[in-house]
Order: sequence, then C-alpha cells, then structure tokens
Amino acid sequence: MNNIDPLRAPLKNARGLGSAKDGTRHFIIQRITAVALLVLAVYFVALLVSLAGADYASARAAVARPFNAILLIAFLIAMFWHGQLGMQVVIEDYVHAPGLAMTCQLIVRFVCFLAALASVFAVLRIALGA
Amino acid sequence: MSAYKIQEHEYDMIVVGAGGSGLRATFGLAAKGLKTVCITKVFPTRSHTVAAQGGISAALGNMGEDDWRYHYYDTIKGSDWLGDQDAIEYMCKEAPAAIIELEHYGLPFSRTEEGKIYQRPFGGMTTKYGEGPPAQRTCAAADRTGHAMLHTLYQQSLAHDAQFMIEYFALDLIWDAEGVCRGVLALDMAEGTLHLFRGHGVVLATGGYGRAFFSATSAHTCTGDGGGLVLRSGLALQDMEFVQFHPTGIYGAGCLITEGVRGEGGILRNSSGERFMERYAPHYKDLASRDVVSRSMTIEIREGRGVGEHHDHLLLDLTHLGPEVIHEKLPGIAESARIFANVDVTRQPIPVLPTVHYNMGGIPTNYHGEVVQRVGGNPDHVVPGLYAIGEAACVSVHGGNRLGSNSLLDLVVFGRAVANRCAETIKPGALHKQLPASACDKALANLDKLRNANGSSPTAEIRLNMQRTMQADAAVFRTAKTLTEGCQKMAKVFSSFEDVKVSDRSLVWNSDLIETYELQNLLYNAVATINSAEQRKESRGAHAREDFPERDDENWQKHTLVKVDESGKSSFDFRPVHMFTLTDEVAVVPPAKRVY
Amino acid sequence: MAEFALPKNSKIQQGKRFPAKPGAKNVREFRVYRWNPEDGANPRIDTYEVDLATCGPMVLDALIKIKNEIDPTLTFRRSCREGICGSCAMNIDGTNTLACTRAIEDCSKGDVPIYPLPHMAVVKDLVPDLTHFYAQYASIKPWLRTQSAAPAKEHLQSKQDRAKLDGLYECILCACCSTACPSYWWNGDRYLGPAILLQAYRWIVDSRDEDTGERLDALEDPFKLYRCHTIMNCTRTCPKGLNPAKAIAEIKKLMVERRS
Repeated sequence: MNNIDPLRAPLKNARGLGSAKDGTRHFIIQRITAVALLVLAVYFVALLVSLAGADYASARAAVARPFNAILLIAFLIAMFWHGQLGMQVVIEDYVHAPGLAMTCQLIVRFVCFLAALASVFAVLRIALGA
Repeated sequence: MSAYKIQEHEYDMIVVGAGGSGLRATFGLAAKGLKTVCITKVFPTRSHTVAAQGGISAALGNMGEDDWRYHYYDTIKGSDWLGDQDAIEYMCKEAPAAIIELEHYGLPFSRTEEGKIYQRPFGGMTTKYGEGPPAQRTCAAADRTGHAMLHTLYQQSLAHDAQFMIEYFALDLIWDAEGVCRGVLALDMAEGTLHLFRGHGVVLATGGYGRAFFSATSAHTCTGDGGGLVLRSGLALQDMEFVQFHPTGIYGAGCLITEGVRGEGGILRNSSGERFMERYAPHYKDLASRDVVSRSMTIEIREGRGVGEHHDHLLLDLTHLGPEVIHEKLPGIAESARIFANVDVTRQPIPVLPTVHYNMGGIPTNYHGEVVQRVGGNPDHVVPGLYAIGEAACVSVHGGNRLGSNSLLDLVVFGRAVANRCAETIKPGALHKQLPASACDKALANLDKLRNANGSSPTAEIRLNMQRTMQADAAVFRTAKTLTEGCQKMAKVFSSFEDVKVSDRSLVWNSDLIETYELQNLLYNAVATINSAEQRKESRGAHAREDFPERDDENWQKHTLVKVDESGKSSFDFRPVHMFTLTDEVAVVPPAKRVY
Repeated sequence: MAEFALPKNSKIQQGKRFPAKPGAKNVREFRVYRWNPEDGANPRIDTYEVDLATCGPMVLDALIKIKNEIDPTLTFRRSCREGICGSCAMNIDGTNTLACTRAIEDCSKGDVPIYPLPHMAVVKDLVPDLTHFYAQYASIKPWLRTQSAAPAKEHLQSKQDRAKLDGLYECILCACCSTACPSYWWNGDRYLGPAILLQAYRWIVDSRDEDTGERLDALEDPFKLYRCHTIMNCTRTCPKGLNPAKAIAEIKKLMVERRS
C-alpha cells in the first residue's frame, strides 16, 4: 500500500493517477497468444516426439521444411510475446518501487524481444539454408 | 478536567446519525448550500435502516387504484388516533414524490410487467377509507428495501460531496446561555480525541432504542442516543409508552421477518395449523396492523395454542407461495430463515414471536422537524437550534402504532423537510456566537466520570438487568401490577449505573466506554418508557393495558411528555393531538372504533 | 517489493488465557487476535474458553459473550447481527466472513481462530481501517448518472433489466472479498478489488444509467481493473453468496466488446 498517504484526502489516494485507458490490449493479446500457444505447443511437442532419436541432420531437415519452419516461428513469437506479457504482470504485481519496476519491465522486454529475434533468426537460417 | 483538549469545528448545520433520515437531511442541507457535517458512530451503510425489508409506502397506484388520502386515513387509523393529522397529511401527500426521487437516485426497485415500481400489500394499508380491498401501496426492492434505500442515500451523499465524521460518538448537546442548541461534543473513536462541532442547528437522527429490551429486531447500535441527549439536556420526550412489537421476529434469534411475507400471502398458524387471524381480524386477517396481530399472537400463545416444546411461539407459513415467488420477492428472508432458524421456507414454516421492533415515541417535533416542547400555555414551542427526524423523533405521524412501510417513508419525507426548513431559516456562513466558557463542562464531567468509572457492576450486567426488566414488565400486554413493579425495578437499575465499572482505560476505539455511554442513553429511554406506560390508563395502539382495555379518547387522546432527571425520576406533561389538517384537500378523521 | 515476513513489531505473540468457569459443560476455545496501539506491545493471541451451553449459536454471540462476561476490553465492530450491515466482517477459522452469520458449529473442530480482515491496517483488535476501501467506493461514483431530463414519474425498467441487478445490489460492503484477494493484498492501493468492481458493474449494467462508457473508461486500467487474476477467493468467501469474480469478468467482456 505504498501509494497511500494518510495525510492526503482518502479520495486523493483512491483516485491516484486516474485511469491509464489501457490494459484491454494487454488482456486481449495475452488471450490470443494463449489460444495460439494451446495449438502450437501441441504441434511443437508432437514435432519433438517425432524427432526423438533422430540425428542432427534429419532434425535440421525437419526444421527446414516450410510447414515446420512457419509454425515454429509462429510458436516462438507467441511464446516470447506471451512470456513477456506474463512477466509484465508478475512485475506489476510484486515489484512496487517505481524505478525498479520500470527497470525490470525494460529488461524483460529486451530479453524477450532479443530471444524471440534470435530464435526466429535461427529457424530462418536453417529454413532458408544460409 | 481542563486536561481534555477539544478541537473546534464550525459548520452551519450538524446532523447526528447517518441512517435513512440522517443521510437524507445531510445531503439535502448540503444541496441547499449550508455547510453541513454528519456525525455518525457507524459507517453510514451500517445504520439500522439497512435492515428494513418490506418496503416504503406511497400511493403511486402502480398496482391498482390508490389515493394518498386513503393512505392518510389508514395512517390515522393505524395510529389509533394519536397521530398528528397535519403531519400525517404532509407525509402521505409528499410520499409519491419522495419515492420517485429515490428511484431517480437509482434505488433498484422491483418492477411490474410495465416496468413501473412494484408495490405489495402491507398490514393496515387499505383502500376507500378502510372499506375497499387491501391496498398495494408498499414499494419494494425484493425484501431488501431498507438496504437498497440506505445504500442509495449514501451514494447520493457521495454525489453531493457531503461531509461525514465516521465513527464519532456524540457525547452531549452543547447549549448557549439563551437555551439555543449550538452544537455537539463528540468523541472520535479511532483516535480518542474530543471534537466540538459548532453549528446553527443540530439535527438528531439517531434512531430508536430497541436495545432497551432483551429481545428486539433492532441492531446492537439502536441505543436511543438522541433521546438520551435530549433527556439529559432537560427536555421532554413524547409518547414513549408506545413500543411496537413486530409480529414476526424469528423465535430465539429475534431477527426480523418482514410483514411483506404476509403481504405476499404468508399465513400465521397456531399449533393446530389454524389460520387464527381470521378470528381476530375477519376482514384483513394476517394483514391487520401490527399491534393487532401481535396481541392476537400473544393471546394464542397464552391460551396454549403455541407451538414448540414450551408452546411459546407460532408459525409463519409461506410454503404455499412456491419457490418462484419466494426467490423473486422474498430471497432475503429465505436466507435469514435458513441461517437463524435452520428452516427451508419452501418446505417448512418459520417459527416466529412478537419482538420489539420500533419506537413510535421520541423527540417531539412539528412536521418541519423542529423540536417542540410545551412551554407554559404553548404546546408547540419550538426549541431553537434543535431538530429531530426519523425513529428518534415523534412528529407524530405514527401515534400509538406505526403501519409497516411508513417508517422508511417517514425517514425520507422528514429528512427532506428538515433540510428545506433550515434552508429557509438559516443563513449559510452566518457567524457563530460566543459560547459560554462553561458550555462543555457538564459533558466533560460526564465523560470523566464514565471513563474512570470503577464501580462494581460492569456495563453488560446493568444492561442485562435493564433489558430483562423491560422485556418482562413493558410487554405486549401491560397491567398496573407489572408496570408499577417495572418502574420500581427500573429505578433501581437506573441508580445502579452510579456504580458502573468500565474496564477499558484506553482512548483508541474504546468500545467499552462507548457501550457505557449507550447504556446511559438506553437507561434514560427505558425509564421514560416504563413510567409513561404506567401513567397512561387506557389501551391505545401498541399500548395495551389489561386493566384498562378500552381506548379513552375523552381523557387520553393526548401526547405524553416525559422528562427524566438525573436521579431517574420522571415527570409528565401533555400535548394535544393535532386534530387539524394543513389544507382542505383532506378532512380531519374523527376517532372511531378500530376494526380490521 | 512484496514482503515475505512480518515486520518485527507485527510478529504475533502468545497472549493470555481466560479459562472457563468451573462447571462449564461444553467448552470451546476462541483464539482471538489482540492489539492495542496504546500499549506499545506486539499483537498477541488471547485464548478464551467459552461455555457454549450458555452462548448463542453464532461466532458473534461468542464474541459478545466474551466482551460481556470475560473481557470487556475486547474490541470489534458489530451492529445488525443478521448479516445485512456488514460491520462484523473478520477472518474466522481461516475464512473472511461475518461473525453474525457464521455458526460456531460450522467452524472446523478444535479451537476457533479469529483475526481481523487480512492485510489491512489494524486500528485495534478486530477493527481494521477501511478508509481506503470506502474511498475506492466513492471513486467509482456509485450513483445513477444520466443526462436526459428526469422523467415525471419513475424511469421505466423491464423486469429482465432489473433482474440484471440481482446478485449485485445486495452487496453490503463488508470487504470480506477484497481482503481475501491476494491481488488486493499486494496492490490494494491501486487495484479497486472485487467489492468495488462488483459495485462498478452494478452501475454499468443498470439500464437507467447513461454513463456506461465513462464508467468503463474510468476502469480501463492495468491496476484498477486488470489486477484481477481470477483467483476466485472473492466468490468463495462472500458471506452473501454473491459472485464478484463473475462481475469482474463481465466488465472485462464489455471492455473487449466495445473494441470489436
């Protein structure tokens, strides 16, 4: 309750900074990515299972197939996006020092974005045979 | 005593109490541009108005023919001709507008098929001056009307930015040398600090004193604080002998089961399953007025037709209404019956007993809410600066017996009336006159005494003695014997308060001290009640004397005024009943035999 | 940061024991949280042995019996004793509920632990400070807001539209739900909490109110509304059987609906 100042009028504390007129986009994307992940995660696990015991070359070949490459990229984007949104909520929930919270949010966003970029790049490299 | 530091606040108007009437007055005054503060010992939505169930009366005619003049007639007949007819005319005429106003504030009334406010029948509400069928006059929000109304009024207070001092307890009224009420000394319970609220007027909206009795539908907080403040200021209360017993309190727990149950078709039955009200009120049966039903029930029990192991209660049967009606119209009492009587109302009847419910008596006022006293030959002398509304007041619109659903109406109509009156008579921002240096002395002496009280009787013990005495000796039926004994016993209980023991010595949220103050207020009210009952030698409304079974209009159609001094001695005076009207739209209703 | 341990001066200590009178027949122990801001001591748990043979059936009856007969300094709020005023909300036997409607025999076997509503500042004993909760209620402007001229009579409202208010208007503002919500514990300063959101929805869904869009605007905020993570403690604990979680879900649905 670090935003409650007993010297201020209670209504001042309650109204705070007002509405950010935001949050619904987050809510919608979190659900869209969740639905996508529901399907894509099943696909991803199936792909892994199908590759169990396979050697490096055949695994690479499987990833290179356009169907797999596209779905893998979709999965990776959805996962990191969803992960970032989730981490954002965790930080909002538990980190209350404004500076620290903003730093955490920045780090999470950078890490998720870079990780997504790197993994998509990896799939593309295999798929496009660079 | 100078050790007590007092913070001063200046307002135009001070309202004490944040129930239905207090809230209506508070935002009404604020809307009129008067700087108003409402002092309340509980958060507004915790006030006892919240527990009202059945509804609020007004002749809207949404569900059949109705006219406010019928309502006027019914209220006078219900009051057993002790109500002031000018005030009753005012209330019943204002009623429809008051309901529409509440609806416009957002109160979630139940609806008819056409989308209008739903109205149900209630006891004593008839058409064609008692000749027609029962009137459907009671506007309802299922069976949670009081809850819906109190929340709506609090919401309006928020909309009007009304100012509240929440969990402040009013210790005493502050008077100036000319006998004008100039403010209230209050204790901030959360901090234990003293505050003097100065104003040009004080509105007492403190509710009833049901807790003077052992078994009451009233909340623990219904302790007659306004009556206590007034009596301790040396003024008189009015018609204190009239205490309403609600026919249907849950046996044992005492919680209210609304009259709306009978309005929707519920039936009272005795041990043989008989609908006994047919014998006592052939025309309106279970929907006779409350005093009639409570007396009939008491007779049934007395003559051995009660139910249960001790044959000491009766049954309220609504099993024939069907689950749909119960779910839509009476969900709250289904819940209460399940929790407090372990009864499924769709299959079993509810065990009920007449239970203390409402105080018709209180602080005498005119229909503007101004407190009046008899001074010399003038029975309507206005006490400057003091107002009272709601159950704390005795306007008197309820006379000897209040009709169900007239109390919520009383709250909003007179809450509004007092705001209008003050807007006419008080100038916003007028300067406050100097108070005598000794203005707070009496209040502080009382505080000092109670705070350090270290006698031998704990507050709870004295309170229990009072409650048992009142329950036994100021019951549904009264006789000279029980009343004389009761007066003597109450005198003893009153003097035992000198020996009270307060255990909590802290300042912050000292509920032991607050309960002791409340007990002091209750004791004054209780002594006033039982002594008033003893001296009224007739039966009228809720005051039923077995030794004087008839109404005696010649000698007793008058309001009792009672004062109680510091030693607990009562003294009496009287005011005539207003047998006149404000306009010629209605005629005075002369006393007649009261048959339902 | 969220704190995982109580500060030193909030650690609860063992308090006094008040044994039942000799000859008591049916004794039950009530372990009650006590804290007096004036004595400088840490909070403690006092144990009261109550003879149920001479006590009413509800937990509030036991508390009143304790205050009347054993320890008048015990401090708690109470008023209507029939579950409609919302004064006596507290944490009983691990659940936020009303002491007046909670039967002693429905508490799990053994002693009955009684604490103030969780994660609120305590004023004294079982009395929490609800100032912020009430201010949050005021902040949603909980009254009928219209621009059309008021009709001469009542606003007309169909039975179906009125039925939409059922399960909402019955809220008694006891704060049991909000103080049972972990999200409200961690972010109660900014999150409105289930009780206030249920109240907000009561006005959003009222067919007479014309400020629906403005009401939604005011709620559309990561903290005011979207701290709800559908934990559902609110609905589980509501002593009136209401469903604040559903009301919040309905608000979120409307937020999405007005965009699509």
